[in-house]
Parts: sequence; C-alpha cells; structure tokens
Amino acid sequence: MPSEPGDPEQVAAFNARIAAGDQIEAGEWMPEEYRFEAVRLINMHANSEIMGALPEREWIPRAPTLARKMALTAKVQDEVGHGMLLYRVAETLGRSRDEMITELVEGRARFHNVFHYPAETWADVAIIQVFVDGAAMQTQGALRSCSYAPYSRVLKRICYEEDFHIQLGLDVWRALAEGTPRQRAMLQNALNRWWTPILHFFGMPDRVSPHTEKMLAWRLKVKSNEELRQQFLRRFVPIILEYGLEVPDPALRWVEEEQRYVYTEPDWEELKRVGRNGGPKSAERLALRQRFHQQHAWVREAVGRWAQGGPARAAVA
Amino acid sequence: MKDATAGAPPNGAGGRWARPLPAPADVWAVFLQARKRDPHVHVGDVHAPDSEMALVLAKENYARRDPCVSLWVVRAAEIYATTADAAGMFEPATDKSYRFGGSYRQQQRVYRGAWRLSHREEDQ
Repeated sequence: MPSEPGDPEQVAAFNARIAAGDQIEAGEWMPEEYRFEAVRLINMHANSEIMGALPEREWIPRAPTLARKMALTAKVQDEVGHGMLLYRVAETLGRSRDEMITELVEGRARFHNVFHYPAETWADVAIIQVFVDGAAMQTQGALRSCSYAPYSRVLKRICYEEDFHIQLGLDVWRALAEGTPRQRAMLQNALNRWWTPILHFFGMPDRVSPHTEKMLAWRLKVKSNEELRQQFLRRFVPIILEYGLEVPDPALRWVEEEQRYVYTEPDWEELKRVGRNGGPKSAERLALRQRFHQQHAWVREAVGRWAQGGPARAAVA
Repeated sequence: MKDATAGAPPNGAGGRWARPLPAPADVWAVFLQARKRDPHVHVGDVHAPDSEMALVLAKENYARRDPCVSLWVVRAAEIYATTADAAGMFEPATDKSYRFGGSYRQQQRVYRGAWRLSHREEDQ
C-alpha cells in the first residue's frame, strides 16, 4: 500500500473532478493510492481473462459439432483478446506487461475464483458462458462508468463481446435443456456444481468500511458486491426456472417487499482459499500457463531480435 | 517549428497544455476505418517491434468481428495530446449559436408556413 499521500490541494482537486463525473486519462496526475487500487483492479481482471480462457479451451477439441467448435474457438479468442486490452490499460498506470505476466505464471498474482474450478462436461461450457460470463457482465457493465477513462473504453468493447458469449451459451443451454433426460441431468449437475462459485464471484457481503467508501467515491467500484449479486439473480434465476431446471439452493426465494432474493449463505472460507490459488484446478492451470509461456519464449526472443535489426533480420533482408 | 508541449495554452490559462502520450516504445496505436465513408477511429493499442507486425496484430485484435476496410498504426509515443488542464480552451468564449443549424428555426417556420399556404386542401 502506498504511504505517500500527495499534496492535499492536488488530491482535493482530483477528488472534486471525479465527484463531478469527470474521468482520468492515462498519464494524468493521480494520488498514489488511486493508482495502486486501479492497477490492482485492472491487473486482476486481465489475469482472469487469460486464465478464464483455459477451462473452455479444454472443450474445443471435444465440442459436439463443427459449428459449436468454431463458436467456442471465437469465444476463447475473445477472452485472450480482452486480456491483451486490459494488460495494456494496466500498463498505462505504470506496470510493465512482462512483469504482470511473470507474476501470473509464477502463481504470485490472483485471478477470479470461478476459473479455479474444473469444466467436467460439455454442459459446464453452457454454464460458464451463460452464468459465469453473465456474472462478469454485471460487474463489468457497472464499471463502464468508472473513473479511469482507458478502462471504461475497453470495458465497452469487452461487454459488447461478452454479450455475444451469453447468447452463444444460451444456445448451448437451450439445446441441452430441451434435450434427452441424460442431457438435462448433465446440465442440472453442472449447474449444481457451479452455483456456489458463481455466488462467490461477487465477493464477500458488504461491510461499510472506509476502504469501500473510498473505492465508491473514486468510482473504482460502482455498485456494491451484494447489489451486483442481486442484479445477477434477478436476471438469471428466471432462465433456470423457465427451462424447468432446479435452482441448486432450496432456500432461495424472492422477497417481494424487499425486492431481493434471499439465499443460503455460501461458505466464504472456500472463496478465500480459492482466491489464494488454492482451488481444485489452480495449480494445474497455472502450470499449463507457465509451460506455454516457456514454450513460446523463442517467439518473444525472435521478435526482440527482429526489433533490434539483429542477425535474424539481416538474414531475411 | 515549435514543440506543442512548450509554452502556454492558446486560451491564455496557465499550465502545460500539450504532452506526448505516455507509452513504451513498442506500443502502437491502432486506428480502424469501418466503412469507406467513415473516418479512422482509435480503437486501442498493440505491442509490436515494427509496423508490419503491428498491422498483423491489429488485424487479429481489432478486426476479427465487426466491419473494417482499413487499419492505420502509429507509434503511440509519437502522438501529442492536449492535457486535462487545457480542456477549458474547448469551451466557447462567446455565444456560438450562430454555428448551429438549430439556431435558424425562424426561417424553417417561414418555409413551412409558406408550404402550407401553397398546398391548401381545397386545391388538391
């Protein structure tokens, strides 16, 4: 955590700009604490896009039809593309892309809890595309009005593509939900396994803390965790019910007078453990990412030599 | 030739009014033209050692779904931008309503009135 608070007058002017709805551009002055929090947020998002490509990638060779295979490939490519966009935004805040990638593959960085879980069946692909991407859409959609302008511009593009992913997922979801009893059972089973990680996705229930207040005031957080979770449930619980599937929480119910869902509190210890790369697939996926990173080292090296006009370039010219 | 980053803003306010975009040397800004009738618009950046690689990566990252007829890449560090301090210079110093078509409604009302007069129901 940065300790240097900055010139009080400058900080006050900065806060006033944000309070007035203005957005901050790359390279402009900002308090060190704002920079720290913005980098933390965007770096974590970038890592999650890269690691989020892995569970679905496993299903590309096993997709049931060519059309599904092509659509899934496009979706995975989008996710990696989002990672590229986001690392670039984090870079404008003063971190180098190499440094962030190295931290990630060495297991010293964090990524979203949902990408630490296995994708056991083809139905998991439907759940990831509809519910995991749907959950991410709530958070990212809200952050489009965040105070860091380069992040909000990139989120506009990301949300546009995430919407395609949800549509794609709903098509897989519908095919399975309207399919044979075995297909329906497979879908229900996947939903049951993913329910807790998806509720976890939005983070711990809200506590009023000076830190949260500050994040909200700086618009690095736009809606509270619980607000986003409720927003997600309002949109996605009806999809489960519409197809006659069961919500995996028997205690879940809509409270009309409070206009919110009540649900069984998930085990928050699990979220903490998974967040520290202690999930069922954390080690395996990080090892895979690291192996690819090492395998492709020669490409980065060749590109670097080419840039310097070294022997590789001389040989071609 | 004068460097835009030196000197006071044209609106007379203090502070720096222009700056080069902060970017590492291998970052290229990508401009995409969706249709011939549209201008090129900045859509994002790529990392690349040279213009050829920058264009290849730009195509993969920014032109894989929506329409595109042309891409431009330029080293991002070569771009100069006005600063937030200078935003005030875009505020009009005087009333500029004369620059907008909407300010000339009276004439439109005259035309419309004249059209109605010359197209009376009973004449049709």
